[in-house]
Formats: sequence, structure tokens, C-alpha cells
Amino acid sequence: MKSRKRVAALLAVVLAAMCAALAGSVKSTVASSKAGPTITIWADQDRKTSVIQLANAWATARGTTVNVLVHDFGKIRDDLGTVAAAEAPDVIMGAHDWTGQLAANGLVQPIILSAATKKNFPAYTLQAFSYGTAVKKLYGVPTQIENIGLIVNTKLVKVPKTFAQLETEALAFKKKKAGNLGIAVQQGTNGDAYHMYPFFSGLGGYIFGVNKAGNLDPSDIGVSNPKFLKNAWMINKWNKERLINSKLDASTAQNAFLKGQAAFWVTGPWNSDTLKQSGLKFTIIQVPKIRYRSVPFLGVQGFLVTKYAATHGVESLAQDFVANYMTTADAQGTLANASGRWPANIAAGKQFKDPVLSQFGKAGVGGVPMPNIPQMNSVWGDLGQAWVRSTKGAGAEKAAASFKAATRAIANKIG
Amino acid sequence: MSATTGPSAGMPPEVPRAAFTPRLISFFSGTVGLVVKVALLSFSNALAIWAGYVLAVRHQWIGLIVLVLVTAAIDALYFGGRRVLPLKFLIPATLFMIAFQIVPIVYTIDVAFTNYSTGHIASKSDAIQQIQLNSLQPPANGKQYTMGAARDAHGNLVLILQDQAGGATFVGTKKGLQPIPKSAVKTGALGITEAKGYKILKGNELFSLDSTIRALKVPTTGHSAISAQTISTAAELEPTLRYDAKGNTFTRITDGVVFRDNGKGSFTHGKQELEPGWKTGVGLRNFGSILHDPLVSGPFFRIFVWTFVFAVSVVFLSFSVGLLLAIALDKKGLRFQRLYRSLVLIPWAVPGFLSLLIWQGLLNDDFGVVNRILHLNIPWLFDGNWAKVSCILVSFWLTVPYFFLVSMGALQAIPVELTEAARVDGGGPLQIFRKVTLPLLLVAVSPLLIASFAFNFNAFNNIYLLTGGGPTQSNQPIAGSTDILISYTYKLAIAAGKGQDYGLASAVSIIIFVIVATISAVSFSRTKALENLN
Repeated sequence: MKSRKRVAALLAVVLAAMCAALAGSVKSTVASSKAGPTITIWADQDRKTSVIQLANAWATARGTTVNVLVHDFGKIRDDLGTVAAAEAPDVIMGAHDWTGQLAANGLVQPIILSAATKKNFPAYTLQAFSYGTAVKKLYGVPTQIENIGLIVNTKLVKVPKTFAQLETEALAFKKKKAGNLGIAVQQGTNGDAYHMYPFFSGLGGYIFGVNKAGNLDPSDIGVSNPKFLKNAWMINKWNKERLINSKLDASTAQNAFLKGQAAFWVTGPWNSDTLKQSGLKFTIIQVPKIRYRSVPFLGVQGFLVTKYAATHGVESLAQDFVANYMTTADAQGTLANASGRWPANIAAGKQFKDPVLSQFGKAGVGGVPMPNIPQMNSVWGDLGQAWVRSTKGAGAEKAAASFKAATRAIANKIG
Repeated sequence: MSATTGPSAGMPPEVPRAAFTPRLISFFSGTVGLVVKVALLSFSNALAIWAGYVLAVRHQWIGLIVLVLVTAAIDALYFGGRRVLPLKFLIPATLFMIAFQIVPIVYTIDVAFTNYSTGHIASKSDAIQQIQLNSLQPPANGKQYTMGAARDAHGNLVLILQDQAGGATFVGTKKGLQPIPKSAVKTGALGITEAKGYKILKGNELFSLDSTIRALKVPTTGHSAISAQTISTAAELEPTLRYDAKGNTFTRITDGVVFRDNGKGSFTHGKQELEPGWKTGVGLRNFGSILHDPLVSGPFFRIFVWTFVFAVSVVFLSFSVGLLLAIALDKKGLRFQRLYRSLVLIPWAVPGFLSLLIWQGLLNDDFGVVNRILHLNIPWLFDGNWAKVSCILVSFWLTVPYFFLVSMGALQAIPVELTEAARVDGGGPLQIFRKVTLPLLLVAVSPLLIASFAFNFNAFNNIYLLTGGGPTQSNQPIAGSTDILISYTYKLAIAAGKGQDYGLASAVSIIIFVIVATISAVSFSRTKALENLN
């Protein structure tokens, strides 16, 4: 009886299994014989809707289909290296400072733009997406530009024209009430080299020098170059006056400005909605010149074609979407409107009318694109920590020593 | 008068109703159980067959073999009968342990012996292909063309090209460019749409031939050739590197410099390196750099000492306070006992990740709530030594509920007769605790103490989210004051050099594993001494 039961059970099991297997395989074969190729795009949650709209418009015109997948923006760069080929995207949205790492890993395809197309973009945006130790190639098409600026609460202080004026106004405001801050620029325990960059460049600092061929030279680290060290004493002065406090983190800085406890805030266009809804009267300017122009980092975002487009046999289509369609003023304008960033295409920029964003744009004139070489990874932490050590108030280290230590650390890590 | 309460004559004997669990078990034995077993096994087998099909389609043979073995094992087990009964209970946990513990460990050991890092993630053939692609550049006076892929009268694939600068039209084949009259060619928004004498490819036919079209190179002058770039454009490019498959080298055409395979995953010539490189085995190089690289070996001892001190302090403090609270709240008849016990469990109410970020805000030196409310001026997070104290205190706060619960359970397990006997013999409360309660407690709790030590030794979240590895000093700018081994490894391997170095990270992880395993093994063998008490 037991063995009969057992046989019956075994039979039932096997039959059920085969039914499921058949169903599964039929479904798979049906799925694989669909008409035409599909381009897979990885976009982030914020821009998903406009990317879907643009991609569908392009796909209809071309007679193909497109599949837009939402992927966490911060993870796209690293996930592209580990994703399986069958699920890999053909086109990704990306930040320009990923270009070096992606190209060094061999994950993105070079893009050739016609001379006419190149004229539609500021040279630095195309430079931002170019990389190459031997031959410099373009790996991405820029669609959006962003940079930080100094937000001035015009009801509390006057817009400063020089850095000395900024210092005086900020310190006077700080003295007015306990709990007031000088300049609300975020650092925190991990530091923030990105937000401190205008002050860094204003004192004569730079990250990597440029060699004769016009390429970034990772052996020329300018974090404690002689010009900067000559002016580093100003950091000690700011620390003593508590003009800049490295214990401020992002949310404290934002709340302080919105509540009127700080008259100056350093932030970027991602907070333009917050600013508009705050009801405060403000102006956005570039940080005034210290000893040199206090230019911010420029961030460029755009589209890249992955090597998986070639693996999937759809590279020409993917290149067409990125190089021919996403470079047009219309497409860039649509994307800019939806995502709240200035478009890279010059013609689209002329039609883009947003008062807050155009002020941010003016604050970025002369700005430096973040270095896109992989060696840049070594710089963020150390440069941020150098600022934290020298502006933390009582017990802060002298800026010269702090930044020299950072240079040594960066050089050691790059090797 | 009968004092017994036996059943009155005539009524059937009352059978006491069995408890719930035995009834449940007996319900599922027999036919119902067999049906459920068959259903579950069918489901798992069906899943296995479908998964096997998917794996076979993608040529993942190792995965397929593992799947077949596991499914066969499960089937044999659940049809096996009495002899394999214990295995039925062991197999699920063992399978999960193998899948989620053993496999990652084996993979980590494998990666530790490779150069898997930024610039070395592709295979060698992929890397060579990308280098060749990257070496193409437009020659001086290189032209760009509007393009349409077409078939000529014989059915061969050709490219119809129109120079974007001058407008001259050509047909391009493997042999070269041949001019054709401009009037024969019509262009539109999607490139070249018509060409007399040729059939322009459209739609799916065009898309499915993409790789072939892109492989067609129309030679022009010198080494230059025209090839398709997008679906409607082509460009003239010349290679700057030439690959020699037999010699396994790249030669730069302009100056003849030869790049050789350096055995470490790149083509190099002196200090110049061609990108991308590829992933390859490098033997013990990662382990060697732990000893030789001053970045790794320099602060190693200091960080190791702090990690050890941190783990021991957190475990000791949490266990002491947890035990104290358990004893204090164990009193019979204590009012609001449930409330007190719930209050002790508050640190577990919020996920640890969030708690740490909130504590980072609360402990901020100038703007944090702790300093404001207590009117202190303590640099909790920005001074080296105080940051260490903060890390220990916050981890202690997170671990007390665990040891409170564990101690409560362990205390219940100590027979009351022993403590009563000790009291009768004249022992004071402290003596009873030291001589009777604590040894019996430690027998049960020692493994948990060791496990908690191992966990805190690698408590990446607790350190990284609170202080980011701690305030750094100018004389030691990378390794901060509160960096533990694992957070320092993260800083070196993920945020360093030329991107991420997974090989080095894996090697250091293995070293950390060996350290923790050694300490745990020694501790476990020592606690055997406590077992003799019983």
C-alpha cells in the first residue's frame, strides 16, 4: 500500500512538473518571437515620464520599440558593470563624472557627432563627456547642466559685490542673535568637497592640472599648490570668526536659511522648488571673488550608449536615439522642463525661461566641470576631510597642514 | 454517599480532548498530509524545471547542474522514508546556509586572488575589442556622411553615402567608394530613402542586419575607412592602434610603440596603459599589498586594536546593563512590569540604520539636541576620543535590548531550588549572584556573547553611519579615529585609487574573517570549562 501510494505520489509530481515546464517554455518562445528589436533605457525616477515620452516619440518615428526602466540614479554606474548581458540596458542616463570609470571599464561606446551638432553645445559640456588616455573620445551626449550658487536672503542682507562685503555682512548678521550662522554651507562629519569648491577655487586651489595635450593629469594634484597655500591663512581666519562651520550638515544648513537664521546659503538647483515655495525674497549669485574667481563645479548630465547595445545587435538604433534625437533642441527642451535643470543645447537654453534656474546658470559662468577621470574617486573624501579639519572651530588644525596632508593621501591612493 | 466522581452508569467514558498541537499533527498525517506533500513537491519540481529551462537557454551550465542536484536531493529526501527523517529537518536550513553564506565566501576567496577592480572587469576578448573601438579617430580632413544601407542588384550589402559637407554621393563597398549621380539619391529625415539601382533596407530587415552593416568598412585613403555610426550616418575613421593576435600586442601606428600584455590584466608600455584592461588572476598580490602597501599596513595595528576594544566594550557594557535590568525587572509582583520591559525595548523600535543617522544629528557638537538640552559643550563627533566614546555609547544603546531579552530568558532557566538553597546556607545576594547565578547564566549565554563580539567586530553600519570612520588627523588623513577594520577596508577599496578595487577588499575581508574566526574558536573552546559546573 505504501509503495503504491508512493508511486502515485511520484507520478502526480512528475506530471505537474511537466505541465509547468511546458507552460513555461511556450511562454518563453512566444516572448522571443516578437516583432523588431527593442532599445532598453535606464532612466531615474525623476525624469522617467519625460524620457518615456521622448523615447516613444522617437521609436514611433523609427518603427521600433523602446523599453524605459527606472533605475536608482546613484546605482546606474556600478550596476552597469555587474548586470547580466540579457538584462543590460542599451542606453543609460548618466552624470559626466562617471565617464572615466565607465570608459576605463569598457562599458560605453564612443559617439561621433557631426560638426553641426557639436556647435549646438558649449564646448565644456562635450569635454565633460570626453575621456581617453591615448585618444580622447566622446562617450555621452550632454542634456542638462547644473551648478551650485550662493543664495542671498535679500530681506536680511544686501547682495554682496565683493568677498570682503560678504564676510562683513555675514558676521554682522551672525552677531545679531544667538543661533545665527555666518555662511550656511553644508559639510558634516564626512565633509563635502563639492559644496566647498567655490571657496577652494577662490583661494587658488584646483584638483588636477591639465597637461600639454589638454588632458587632465592625475600626477599634477593642485590641492595644496603654492598659490593656494599662500592664501590658506584666510581659512584659519574664517574658522576663528566662525564664518564657516564644518559641523553644519545639509539639513541644518537648509533649515537655518529657511527659518531666517542664516542669510547666505550655498546650494544647487535641486532646491529651487524649496526656495520658490519658501516665500523668501532671495537672489542667487556666484560666490564673490576671493583672490581668484570662486567658480563652482559644473555637473553635466546626459545619455550614454552602453557596450550591451552592440551585444544586443541594436547599436545603430541606440546611437541614433542618443546622437541624432536627444541632441535636438526640442528633445532637450522637453527634458529640461520636466526635470528642472538647464538644458545643455544652446538653442533650447534660449527658450528656457525659469528665473531661478537662469540665476543658477549665471552663477556657474566660468565654472569647472568635475574631473571625470577614475582617479577623482580618491579626491572627494580627503578634500572634504581637509575642510572639516580646518573649519571645525575650537581644536581646528591649521589649513596649510590639513590640505598638505590631503594632497599626500590623494597621491598615495592614486599611486 | 459516594465520594468518588466517577462517571454515572450508562454514559460513555469521557475521553479528554487532546491539546491543539497533537491534533494539528494528526490532522496532517495520512491522506491530507500526503496530498499536501505531493502538491508542494510538484510546485518545487515545476519551479526547478522552468528555472532549468531558463538556465539552459542562457548556457549557464554550472547553475543548471546545481539546480538538478538540489532538486533530486529534495525529491529523494521527501520520498525517502524513515531513514532520512532527520535530514528532512536539516536540509532546508543547510541549503539556505550554503546558498547565502558558503557561496558568497567561496566567491570572495575567488575574487581575492584576481585583480577585479575598476578598469579590470571585462574579459580579455571584450577588452581587446573595446581598445580597438576606442583607438579609432577621424583623420585629418575626415568626412562624415549621411547613410543608407542597401542591397545592390546582386543582393550584396552596400552603403549609399552622401558627404555631409559637399553633398557628393557615393556607393561604398568592401572595395572602396564609387561615385554615383546625385540625382539618383533621395534623402529624408531618416537618412537616405531612395537610390536608383539599389534597394534601400528598411524596418526589421535593416535592424536585424545591424552587426553586419556595422562590420562593413569602406576603405578610403591610407588606413582610413568609412563605417556606420548611427542608423543614418557614417563617418570616416582611422585606427591608431593595430592588434597582433599572434604576438598578443598592440602597436601604435604613428610611432610604432608596442604595448605588451603585462600579465596583470592590461596592455602596457612603460607607464602608459591601454584602457580597458581585463580581469585576470594575480595570485597573492592582493595579500602581499596588505603587508607591503603602507596605506594598508601602516594604520593596521592601531585600527585592529580599536576594533577589538570597541567590540569588547560594547558587548561587556550591553551584557552588564542588560543583565542588571533583567534581574531588576524580574521581581515578582513588580508594578508596571510590562511597561518597564517595553521601555527597555525602545531602541529596537526603529531600524538600526535610521537610528544611527538620527543619532548623528542628535550628537552634532554645535547643533545637536544632546548638547543643547544638557547644556554641554562636548565635541561628540568631531573630536577623536569623544567620537570613540560616542560610537561605543550608541552601539551599546542598540545592543542592550538584545542582552536584556537573552538574560531574562536565561534567568528563568536557572532552577529556583539552587538560589533558595544558597540563601538557606547563609549567602548574601551578591554572593548568590557571583557563585550560583552568574556561572549558570554564562553557560547559556557565552555563545551569544561570542556571537555578539563577532558581530560588533564587523559593525560597519554602527561606525560608518555615525562618524564616517571618525574625525581624521592631518598625520593620518585616511584612517580616521573611529575606523574599524571593515570601514577602513571600504575606504581603501571602494573610494580609492583609480576607482574600486574589489580584489583588495576581498583579500582584507578574508584576513578579518580569519581574525574573527580565531578569536571565536579560542573563546568557544575556553567556555567548555564552564560546562563542567553542571
